[in-house]
Amino acid sequence: MSYNPFSLEGKTILITGASSGIGRTTAVECSKMGAQLFLTGRNEQRLIETMELLDGQNHSFIPADLTDDNEMQHLISSLPPLDGLVNNAGIQKYMPTQFITEDDLLRILKTNTVAPILLTRTLVKKKKMKNPSSVVFTSSIAGNFKCSPGNAMYSTSKGAISGFMRNSAIDLAAKGIRCNAVNPGMIVTPIMTENSALTEEQWEENRKLYPLKRFGKPEDVAFAIIYLLSDASSWVTGSSLIIDGGRIL
Amino acid sequence: MLYNPFSLKDKNILVTGASSGIGRTTAIECSKLGAKVVITGRSIERLQETYSQLEGVGHSQYLAELTSQEDLENLVKQVPTLDGVVLCAGSGVIKPFIYSSREQFDKVFNINFFSQVELLRLLVKKKLLAKPSSVVFVSSVGGIYSFDPGNGVYGASKAALCSTMKFCALELAPKKIRVNSVNPGMVHTKLINPNTITEEQFQSDMENYPLGRYGETSDVAYGIVYLLSDASSWVTGHTLVIDGGLTI
Repeated sequence: MSYNPFSLEGKTILITGASSGIGRTTAVECSKMGAQLFLTGRNEQRLIETMELLDGQNHSFIPADLTDDNEMQHLISSLPPLDGLVNNAGIQKYMPTQFITEDDLLRILKTNTVAPILLTRTLVKKKKMKNPSSVVFTSSIAGNFKCSPGNAMYSTSKGAISGFMRNSAIDLAAKGIRCNAVNPGMIVTPIMTENSALTEEQWEENRKLYPLKRFGKPEDVAFAIIYLLSDASSWVTGSSLIIDGGRIL
Repeated sequence: MLYNPFSLKDKNILVTGASSGIGRTTAIECSKLGAKVVITGRSIERLQETYSQLEGVGHSQYLAELTSQEDLENLVKQVPTLDGVVLCAGSGVIKPFIYSSREQFDKVFNINFFSQVELLRLLVKKKLLAKPSSVVFVSSVGGIYSFDPGNGVYGASKAALCSTMKFCALELAPKKIRVNSVNPGMVHTKLINPNTITEEQFQSDMENYPLGRYGETSDVAYGIVYLLSDASSWVTGHTLVIDGGLTI
Protein backbone atom coordinates (compact mmCIF):
# COMPACT_ATOMS: atom_id res chain seq x y z
CA MET A 1 0.00 0.00 0.00
CA SER A 2 1.42 3.39 -1.01
CA TYR A 3 2.05 5.98 1.69
CA ASN A 4 -0.97 8.27 1.85
CA PRO A 5 -1.78 10.39 4.93
CA PHE A 6 -4.97 11.52 3.16
CA SER A 7 -6.31 7.97 2.81
CA LEU A 8 -9.86 7.19 3.98
CA GLU A 9 -9.23 3.43 3.97
CA GLY A 10 -11.69 1.65 6.25
CA LYS A 11 -13.51 4.83 7.31
CA THR A 12 -17.34 4.87 7.37
CA ILE A 13 -18.65 8.13 5.97
CA LEU A 14 -22.19 9.52 5.63
CA ILE A 15 -22.76 12.10 2.89
CA THR A 16 -26.00 14.08 2.60
CA GLY A 17 -27.11 15.58 -0.70
CA ALA A 18 -25.29 12.75 -2.45
CA SER A 19 -27.75 12.60 -5.38
CA SER A 20 -25.92 15.26 -7.37
CA GLY A 21 -23.34 18.03 -7.50
CA ILE A 22 -20.69 18.33 -4.81
CA GLY A 23 -22.26 15.49 -2.81
CA ARG A 24 -22.08 13.04 -5.69
CA THR A 25 -18.49 13.89 -6.61
CA THR A 26 -17.42 13.81 -2.97
CA ALA A 27 -18.94 10.34 -2.62
CA VAL A 28 -17.09 9.10 -5.71
CA GLU A 29 -13.75 10.57 -4.61
CA CYS A 30 -14.13 9.25 -1.04
CA SER A 31 -14.78 5.78 -2.45
CA LYS A 32 -11.57 6.06 -4.51
CA MET A 33 -9.71 6.87 -1.27
CA GLY A 34 -11.00 3.67 0.33
CA ALA A 35 -13.99 4.84 2.38
CA GLN A 36 -17.16 2.86 3.04
CA LEU A 37 -19.99 5.17 2.05
CA PHE A 38 -23.52 5.77 3.30
CA LEU A 39 -25.34 8.05 0.90
CA THR A 40 -28.53 9.97 1.49
CA GLY A 41 -30.62 12.40 -0.52
CA ARG A 42 -34.24 12.91 -1.50
CA ASN A 43 -34.06 11.52 -5.04
CA GLU A 44 -33.79 7.72 -4.96
CA GLN A 45 -33.10 7.40 -8.68
CA ARG A 46 -30.21 9.84 -8.59
CA LEU A 47 -28.82 8.21 -5.42
CA ILE A 48 -28.72 4.90 -7.31
CA GLU A 49 -26.86 6.65 -10.14
CA THR A 50 -24.28 7.91 -7.62
CA MET A 51 -23.95 4.38 -6.18
CA GLU A 52 -23.10 3.05 -9.64
CA LEU A 53 -20.20 5.50 -9.92
CA LEU A 54 -18.55 4.44 -6.67
CA ASP A 55 -15.31 2.46 -6.46
CA GLY A 56 -15.21 -0.59 -4.24
CA GLN A 57 -17.92 -2.53 -2.42
CA ASN A 58 -20.04 -2.34 0.72
CA HIS A 59 -21.60 1.05 0.11
CA SER A 60 -25.27 1.79 0.87
CA PHE A 61 -27.88 4.41 0.19
CA ILE A 62 -30.86 5.48 2.26
CA PRO A 63 -33.25 7.98 0.64
CA ALA A 64 -34.43 10.56 3.18
CA ASP A 65 -35.87 14.05 3.46
CA LEU A 66 -33.74 15.36 6.29
CA THR A 67 -36.24 18.11 7.12
CA ASP A 68 -38.60 15.34 8.26
CA ASP A 69 -37.84 14.10 11.76
CA ASN A 70 -39.15 10.55 11.15
CA GLU A 71 -37.04 10.12 8.03
CA MET A 72 -33.96 11.50 9.79
CA GLN A 73 -34.46 9.12 12.75
CA HIS A 74 -34.91 6.20 10.35
CA LEU A 75 -31.69 7.14 8.53
CA ILE A 76 -29.73 7.35 11.78
CA SER A 77 -31.00 4.02 13.07
CA SER A 78 -29.72 2.36 9.86
CA LEU A 79 -26.17 3.62 10.37
CA PRO A 80 -23.17 2.09 12.11
CA PRO A 81 -20.84 4.38 14.09
CA LEU A 82 -19.25 6.86 11.68
CA ASP A 83 -15.74 8.15 11.12
CA GLY A 84 -17.02 11.00 8.98
CA LEU A 85 -20.14 13.06 8.28
CA VAL A 86 -20.47 15.41 5.31
CA ASN A 87 -23.40 17.82 5.83
CA ASN A 88 -23.68 18.79 2.20
CA ALA A 89 -27.37 18.89 1.20
CA GLY A 90 -28.41 22.39 0.23
CA ILE A 91 -30.85 24.44 -1.85
CA GLN A 92 -30.67 27.87 -3.39
CA LYS A 93 -33.03 30.65 -4.44
CA TYR A 94 -32.02 34.13 -5.54
CA MET A 95 -34.39 36.87 -4.43
CA PRO A 96 -33.52 40.52 -3.73
CA THR A 97 -33.96 41.45 -0.07
CA GLN A 98 -37.15 43.45 -0.53
CA PHE A 99 -38.91 40.50 -2.21
CA ILE A 100 -38.02 37.83 0.34
CA THR A 101 -41.01 35.79 1.55
CA GLU A 102 -41.17 34.10 4.91
CA ASP A 103 -42.03 30.81 3.19
CA ASP A 104 -38.93 30.83 0.98
CA LEU A 105 -36.72 31.95 3.85
CA LEU A 106 -37.90 29.23 6.22
CA ARG A 107 -37.68 26.58 3.52
CA ILE A 108 -34.05 27.46 2.75
CA LEU A 109 -33.10 27.72 6.43
CA LYS A 110 -34.77 24.41 7.17
CA THR A 111 -32.75 22.48 4.56
CA ASN A 112 -29.45 24.39 4.66
CA THR A 113 -29.17 25.13 8.38
CA VAL A 114 -31.66 23.44 10.70
CA ALA A 115 -31.53 19.95 9.16
CA PRO A 116 -27.73 19.61 9.32
CA ILE A 117 -27.74 20.94 12.90
CA LEU A 118 -30.35 18.41 14.00
CA LEU A 119 -28.66 15.58 12.10
CA THR A 120 -25.31 16.34 13.74
CA ARG A 121 -26.86 16.70 17.18
CA THR A 122 -28.85 13.45 16.88
CA LEU A 123 -25.91 11.42 15.56
CA VAL A 124 -23.83 12.57 18.53
CA LYS A 125 -26.65 11.91 21.00
CA LYS A 126 -27.21 8.40 19.61
CA LYS A 127 -23.45 7.77 19.90
CA LYS A 128 -23.05 7.30 16.14
CA MET A 129 -19.99 9.58 15.86
CA LYS A 130 -16.78 7.77 16.78
CA ASN A 131 -13.90 9.13 18.83
CA PRO A 132 -12.11 10.39 16.80
CA SER A 133 -14.29 11.45 13.90
CA SER A 134 -14.72 14.39 11.53
CA VAL A 135 -17.72 16.49 10.50
CA VAL A 136 -17.54 18.68 7.39
CA PHE A 137 -20.19 21.25 6.49
CA THR A 138 -20.59 22.46 2.92
CA SER A 139 -20.91 26.17 3.62
CA SER A 140 -20.03 28.92 1.08
CA ILE A 141 -18.09 32.12 0.60
CA ALA A 142 -21.60 33.62 0.46
CA GLY A 143 -22.71 34.94 3.81
CA ASN A 144 -19.22 34.49 5.22
CA PHE A 145 -16.60 36.15 3.02
CA LYS A 146 -18.21 37.50 -0.17
CA CYS A 147 -21.84 38.30 -0.87
CA SER A 148 -23.60 38.67 -4.20
CA PRO A 149 -26.68 40.69 -5.09
CA GLY A 150 -29.98 38.89 -4.58
CA ASN A 151 -28.45 36.15 -2.47
CA ALA A 152 -29.59 37.15 1.01
CA MET A 153 -31.50 34.00 1.98
CA TYR A 154 -28.75 31.61 0.92
CA SER A 155 -26.10 33.84 2.53
CA THR A 156 -28.07 33.87 5.77
CA SER A 157 -28.32 30.09 5.80
CA LYS A 158 -24.60 29.66 5.10
CA GLY A 159 -23.48 32.30 7.60
CA ALA A 160 -25.59 30.52 10.18
CA ILE A 161 -24.28 27.02 9.46
CA SER A 162 -20.69 28.31 9.69
CA GLY A 163 -21.54 29.83 13.05
CA PHE A 164 -22.90 26.47 14.19
CA MET A 165 -19.80 24.68 12.87
CA ARG A 166 -17.49 26.85 14.97
CA ASN A 167 -19.52 26.34 18.12
CA SER A 168 -19.94 22.62 17.63
CA ALA A 169 -16.16 22.37 17.17
CA ILE A 170 -15.81 23.65 20.71
CA ASP A 171 -18.64 21.56 22.19
CA LEU A 172 -17.60 18.31 20.54
CA ALA A 173 -13.79 18.56 20.86
CA ALA A 174 -13.84 16.61 24.12
CA LYS A 175 -15.56 13.73 22.28
CA GLY A 176 -12.79 13.76 19.66
CA ILE A 177 -15.17 15.10 17.00
CA ARG A 178 -13.61 17.73 14.75
CA CYS A 179 -15.93 20.14 12.91
CA ASN A 180 -14.89 22.19 9.89
CA ALA A 181 -16.45 23.78 6.84
CA VAL A 182 -15.60 24.10 3.19
CA ASN A 183 -16.50 27.47 1.69
CA PRO A 184 -16.68 27.20 -2.08
CA GLY A 185 -17.16 29.95 -4.60
CA MET A 186 -19.30 29.21 -7.64
CA ILE A 187 -19.07 25.52 -8.56
CA VAL A 188 -20.47 24.11 -11.81
CA THR A 189 -23.24 21.81 -10.53
CA PRO A 190 -27.02 21.58 -10.98
CA ILE A 191 -27.54 24.15 -8.18
CA MET A 192 -25.79 26.59 -10.53
CA THR A 193 -26.89 25.39 -13.98
CA GLU A 194 -30.54 24.99 -12.94
CA ASN A 195 -30.59 28.57 -11.69
CA SER A 196 -31.81 30.95 -14.36
CA ALA A 197 -31.03 34.16 -12.44
CA LEU A 198 -28.17 35.13 -14.77
CA THR A 199 -27.82 35.27 -18.56
CA GLU A 200 -24.90 33.67 -20.45
CA GLU A 201 -23.27 37.08 -20.65
CA GLN A 202 -23.69 37.68 -16.95
CA TRP A 203 -22.17 34.27 -16.12
CA GLU A 204 -19.20 35.18 -18.34
CA GLU A 205 -18.77 38.52 -16.53
CA ASN A 206 -18.99 36.67 -13.22
CA ARG A 207 -16.31 34.18 -14.29
CA LYS A 208 -13.87 37.01 -14.95
CA LEU A 209 -14.09 38.03 -11.28
CA TYR A 210 -12.17 34.86 -10.41
CA PRO A 211 -8.35 35.41 -10.47
CA LEU A 212 -7.88 31.80 -11.59
CA LYS A 213 -10.31 32.58 -14.44
CA ARG A 214 -12.65 29.64 -14.06
CA PHE A 215 -15.55 28.48 -11.96
CA GLY A 216 -14.91 25.61 -9.60
CA LYS A 217 -15.36 21.92 -10.33
CA PRO A 218 -17.03 19.65 -7.78
CA GLU A 219 -13.68 17.83 -7.43
CA ASP A 220 -12.06 21.02 -6.12
CA VAL A 221 -14.45 20.88 -3.17
CA ALA A 222 -14.37 17.08 -2.83
CA PHE A 223 -10.59 17.02 -2.34
CA ALA A 224 -10.80 19.67 0.40
CA ILE A 225 -13.52 17.64 2.12
CA ILE A 226 -11.27 14.56 1.93
CA TYR A 227 -8.39 16.49 3.55
CA LEU A 228 -10.74 17.46 6.39
CA LEU A 229 -12.12 13.91 6.78
CA SER A 230 -8.66 12.32 6.81
CA ASP A 231 -6.19 11.90 9.65
CA ALA A 232 -3.97 14.45 7.87
CA SER A 233 -6.14 17.18 9.41
CA SER A 234 -6.28 15.77 12.94
CA TRP A 235 -5.27 19.10 14.50
CA VAL A 236 -7.72 21.11 12.36
CA THR A 237 -11.04 22.07 13.88
CA GLY A 238 -13.32 25.09 13.68
CA SER A 239 -11.76 26.13 10.36
CA SER A 240 -13.33 27.47 7.17
CA LEU A 241 -11.50 26.18 4.09
CA ILE A 242 -12.04 28.65 1.26
CA ILE A 243 -12.03 27.11 -2.21
CA ASP A 244 -12.79 29.97 -4.55
CA GLY A 245 -10.15 30.54 -7.20
CA GLY A 246 -9.18 33.73 -5.39
CA ARG A 247 -12.64 35.32 -5.67
CA ILE A 248 -12.62 36.98 -2.27
CA LEU A 249 -9.27 38.73 -2.81
CA MET B 1 0.54 3.76 -8.74
CA LEU B 2 -2.53 3.93 -6.52
CA TYR B 3 -4.97 6.79 -6.96
CA ASN B 4 -3.81 9.80 -4.95
CA PRO B 5 -4.89 13.36 -5.84
CA PHE B 6 -2.56 14.58 -3.07
CA SER B 7 0.53 13.07 -4.71
CA LEU B 8 3.55 15.27 -5.35
CA LYS B 9 5.12 12.79 -7.75
CA ASP B 10 7.90 14.33 -9.85
CA LYS B 11 7.21 17.84 -8.57
CA ASN B 12 10.29 19.95 -7.75
CA ILE B 13 9.67 21.55 -4.37
CA LEU B 14 11.90 24.09 -2.59
CA VAL B 15 11.68 24.21 1.20
CA THR B 16 13.40 26.98 3.17
CA GLY B 17 14.08 26.62 6.89
CA ALA B 18 14.49 22.90 6.27
CA SER B 19 17.17 22.28 8.93
CA SER B 20 14.57 21.74 11.64
CA GLY B 21 10.99 21.94 12.80
CA ILE B 22 8.13 22.39 10.36
CA GLY B 23 10.54 22.84 7.42
CA ARG B 24 12.29 19.52 8.09
CA THR B 25 9.07 17.53 8.47
CA THR B 26 7.57 19.20 5.40
CA ALA B 27 10.61 18.32 3.28
CA ILE B 28 10.44 14.71 4.45
CA GLU B 29 6.68 14.40 3.85
CA CYS B 30 7.04 15.92 0.37
CA SER B 31 9.70 13.32 -0.43
CA LYS B 32 7.42 10.53 0.83
CA LEU B 33 4.75 11.73 -1.59
CA GLY B 34 7.12 11.53 -4.53
CA ALA B 35 8.53 15.06 -4.79
CA LYS B 36 12.09 15.97 -5.68
CA VAL B 37 12.99 18.27 -2.82
CA VAL B 38 15.44 21.17 -2.76
CA ILE B 39 16.21 22.02 0.85
CA THR B 40 17.94 25.08 2.23
CA GLY B 41 18.94 26.21 5.70
CA ARG B 42 21.75 27.82 7.67
CA SER B 43 23.16 24.86 9.61
CA ILE B 44 25.27 22.44 7.58
CA GLU B 45 24.89 19.54 10.05
CA ARG B 46 21.16 19.92 10.57
CA LEU B 47 20.53 20.38 6.86
CA GLN B 48 22.47 17.17 6.20
CA GLU B 49 20.37 15.43 8.86
CA THR B 50 17.19 16.47 7.06
CA TYR B 51 18.68 15.41 3.73
CA SER B 52 19.54 11.96 5.05
CA GLN B 53 15.88 11.42 6.05
CA LEU B 54 14.44 12.26 2.64
CA GLU B 55 12.91 9.30 0.81
CA GLY B 56 13.53 8.55 -2.83
CA VAL B 57 16.04 10.22 -5.13
CA GLY B 58 16.59 13.48 -6.99
CA HIS B 59 16.91 15.73 -3.94
CA SER B 60 19.44 18.52 -3.34
CA GLN B 61 20.59 20.74 -0.49
CA TYR B 62 22.02 24.25 -0.43
CA LEU B 63 23.43 26.08 2.54
CA ALA B 64 22.24 29.69 2.53
CA GLU B 65 21.83 32.63 4.87
CA LEU B 66 18.66 34.03 3.33
CA THR B 67 19.09 37.47 4.90
CA SER B 68 22.11 37.90 2.64
CA GLN B 69 21.20 39.17 -0.83
CA GLU B 70 24.28 37.42 -2.22
CA ASP B 71 23.26 34.03 -0.75
CA LEU B 72 19.72 34.55 -2.07
CA GLU B 73 20.92 35.23 -5.58
CA ASN B 74 23.31 32.25 -5.50
CA LEU B 75 20.51 29.97 -4.34
CA VAL B 76 18.22 31.19 -7.09
CA LYS B 77 20.94 30.50 -9.69
CA GLN B 78 21.11 26.85 -8.61
CA VAL B 79 17.48 25.77 -8.25
CA PRO B 80 15.61 24.01 -11.07
CA THR B 81 12.21 25.19 -12.33
CA LEU B 82 9.96 24.68 -9.33
CA ASP B 83 6.45 23.26 -9.02
CA GLY B 84 6.25 24.30 -5.39
CA VAL B 85 7.90 26.57 -2.83
CA VAL B 86 7.50 26.37 0.94
CA LEU B 87 8.70 29.52 2.71
CA CYS B 88 9.34 28.22 6.19
CA ALA B 89 12.44 30.01 7.46
CA GLY B 90 11.54 31.91 10.58
CA SER B 91 12.51 32.87 14.08
CA GLY B 92 10.71 34.15 17.13
CA VAL B 93 11.27 36.50 20.00
CA ILE B 94 9.24 37.25 23.11
CA LYS B 95 9.52 40.94 23.96
CA PRO B 96 7.01 43.26 25.57
CA PHE B 97 6.16 46.08 23.21
CA ILE B 98 7.98 48.62 25.37
CA TYR B 99 11.27 46.75 24.70
CA SER B 100 10.57 46.06 21.05
CA SER B 101 13.11 48.42 19.60
CA ARG B 102 13.68 49.00 15.92
CA GLU B 103 16.61 46.57 16.21
CA GLN B 104 14.30 43.82 17.51
CA PHE B 105 11.84 44.39 14.70
CA ASP B 106 14.59 44.45 12.07
CA LYS B 107 16.12 41.20 13.29
CA VAL B 108 12.87 39.26 13.16
CA PHE B 109 11.49 40.92 10.03
CA ASN B 110 14.72 40.38 8.11
CA ILE B 111 14.43 36.62 8.39
CA ASN B 112 10.67 36.06 8.77
CA PHE B 113 9.47 38.53 6.19
CA PHE B 114 12.01 40.28 3.96
CA SER B 115 14.16 37.24 3.13
CA GLN B 116 11.19 35.00 2.28
CA VAL B 117 9.45 37.64 0.18
CA GLU B 118 12.61 38.60 -1.68
CA LEU B 119 13.33 34.95 -2.43
CA LEU B 120 9.87 34.55 -3.93
CA ARG B 121 10.23 37.76 -5.91
CA LEU B 122 13.54 36.59 -7.41
CA LEU B 123 12.11 33.17 -8.28
CA VAL B 124 9.17 34.76 -10.09
CA LYS B 125 11.37 37.33 -11.83
CA LYS B 126 13.76 34.65 -13.09
CA LYS B 127 10.78 32.60 -14.30
CA LEU B 128 11.74 29.70 -12.03
CA LEU B 129 8.15 28.91 -11.08
CA ALA B 130 6.37 26.50 -13.41
CA LYS B 131 2.93 27.12 -14.88
CA PRO B 132 1.05 25.98 -12.80
CA SER B 133 2.84 26.02 -9.45
CA SER B 134 2.09 26.53 -5.77
CA VAL B 135 3.69 28.72 -3.10
CA VAL B 136 3.03 28.22 0.62
CA PHE B 137 4.01 30.80 3.23
CA VAL B 138 4.35 29.44 6.75
CA SER B 139 2.62 32.17 8.72
CA SER B 140 0.92 31.76 12.12
CA VAL B 141 -2.33 32.41 13.94
CA GLY B 142 -0.27 34.69 16.17
CA GLY B 143 -0.51 38.27 15.03
CA ILE B 144 -3.57 37.63 12.87
CA TYR B 145 -6.22 35.76 14.88
CA SER B 146 -4.47 35.36 18.22
CA PHE B 147 -2.59 37.89 20.34
CA ASP B 148 -0.41 37.10 23.34
CA PRO B 149 1.51 39.71 25.32
CA GLY B 150 5.15 39.75 24.23
CA ASN B 151 4.45 38.29 20.80
CA GLY B 152 4.08 41.57 18.96
CA VAL B 153 7.27 41.50 16.89
CA TYR B 154 6.81 37.90 15.73
CA GLY B 155 3.06 38.44 15.25
CA ALA B 156 3.57 41.53 13.11
CA SER B 157 6.04 39.68 10.86
CA LYS B 158 3.57 36.80 10.37
CA ALA B 159 0.70 39.19 9.67
CA ALA B 160 2.86 40.97 7.10
CA LEU B 161 3.53 37.62 5.40
CA CYS B 162 -0.20 36.93 5.17
CA SER B 163 -0.90 40.27 3.61
CA THR B 164 1.85 39.84 1.02
CA MET B 165 0.55 36.33 0.38
CA LYS B 166 -2.81 37.70 -0.69
CA PHE B 167 -1.33 40.34 -2.96
CA CYS B 168 0.88 37.69 -4.55
CA ALA B 169 -2.11 35.38 -4.99
CA LEU B 170 -3.93 38.11 -6.90
CA GLU B 171 -0.99 39.34 -9.00
CA LEU B 172 0.49 35.93 -9.82
CA ALA B 173 -2.82 34.24 -10.72
CA PRO B 174 -2.38 35.07 -14.43
CA LYS B 175 0.90 33.06 -14.29
CA LYS B 176 -1.09 30.20 -12.70
CA ILE B 177 1.00 30.52 -9.54
CA ARG B 178 -1.22 29.81 -6.54
CA VAL B 179 -0.16 31.41 -3.26
CA ASN B 180 -1.51 30.40 0.15
CA SER B 181 -0.40 30.27 3.76
CA VAL B 182 -0.62 27.81 6.61
CA ASN B 183 -1.33 29.43 9.95
CA PRO B 184 -0.42 27.10 12.79
CA GLY B 185 -1.02 27.50 16.47
CA MET B 186 1.74 26.49 18.88
CA VAL B 187 3.72 23.57 17.43
CA HIS B 188 6.36 21.44 19.18
CA THR B 189 9.58 22.74 17.60
CA LYS B 190 12.72 24.40 18.88
CA LEU B 191 11.12 27.77 18.11
CA ILE B 192 9.36 27.27 21.44
CA ASN B 193 11.95 28.42 23.93
CA PRO B 194 11.78 26.65 27.32
CA ASN B 195 14.02 29.39 28.72
CA THR B 196 11.30 32.01 28.49
CA ILE B 197 8.25 29.86 29.20
CA THR B 198 7.96 27.35 32.08
CA GLU B 199 6.51 23.83 31.86
CA GLU B 200 3.59 25.01 34.01
CA GLN B 201 2.88 27.84 31.62
CA PHE B 202 2.93 25.38 28.70
CA GLN B 203 0.47 23.05 30.44
CA SER B 204 -1.80 25.94 31.26
CA ASP B 205 -1.57 27.26 27.69
CA MET B 206 -2.49 23.84 26.23
CA GLU B 207 -5.84 24.12 27.98
CA ASN B 208 -6.71 26.93 25.57
CA TYR B 209 -6.72 24.37 22.76
CA PRO B 210 -10.07 22.56 22.31
CA LEU B 211 -8.21 19.53 20.96
CA GLY B 212 -6.15 19.52 24.16
CA ARG B 213 -2.65 19.52 22.70
CA TYR B 214 -0.08 21.57 20.86
CA GLY B 215 0.53 20.73 17.23
CA GLU B 216 3.09 18.38 15.80
CA THR B 217 5.16 19.39 12.79
CA SER B 218 3.33 16.73 10.76
CA ASP B 219 -0.02 18.49 11.36
CA VAL B 220 1.36 21.52 9.56
CA ALA B 221 3.28 19.53 6.95
CA TYR B 222 0.13 17.73 5.76
CA GLY B 223 -1.68 21.06 5.31
CA ILE B 224 1.28 22.28 3.26
CA VAL B 225 1.22 19.11 1.15
CA TYR B 226 -2.51 19.63 0.42
CA LEU B 227 -1.75 23.17 -0.76
CA LEU B 228 1.21 22.04 -2.90
CA SER B 229 -0.77 19.26 -4.58
CA ASP B 230 -3.11 19.38 -7.55
CA ALA B 231 -5.94 18.60 -5.11
CA SER B 232 -5.95 22.31 -4.22
CA SER B 233 -5.78 23.68 -7.77
CA TRP B 234 -8.66 26.09 -7.20
CA VAL B 235 -7.37 27.31 -3.81
CA THR B 236 -5.45 30.58 -3.76
CA GLY B 237 -5.16 33.50 -1.36
CA HIS B 238 -6.26 31.28 1.53
CA THR B 239 -5.03 31.23 5.13
CA LEU B 240 -5.22 27.56 6.21
CA VAL B 241 -5.60 27.62 9.98
CA ILE B 242 -4.15 24.54 11.70
CA ASP B 243 -4.46 25.30 15.40
CA GLY B 244 -6.38 22.66 17.32
CA GLY B 245 -9.32 25.05 17.57
CA LEU B 246 -7.43 27.75 19.48
CA THR B 247 -8.89 30.69 17.58
CA ILE B 248 -12.54 29.60 17.45
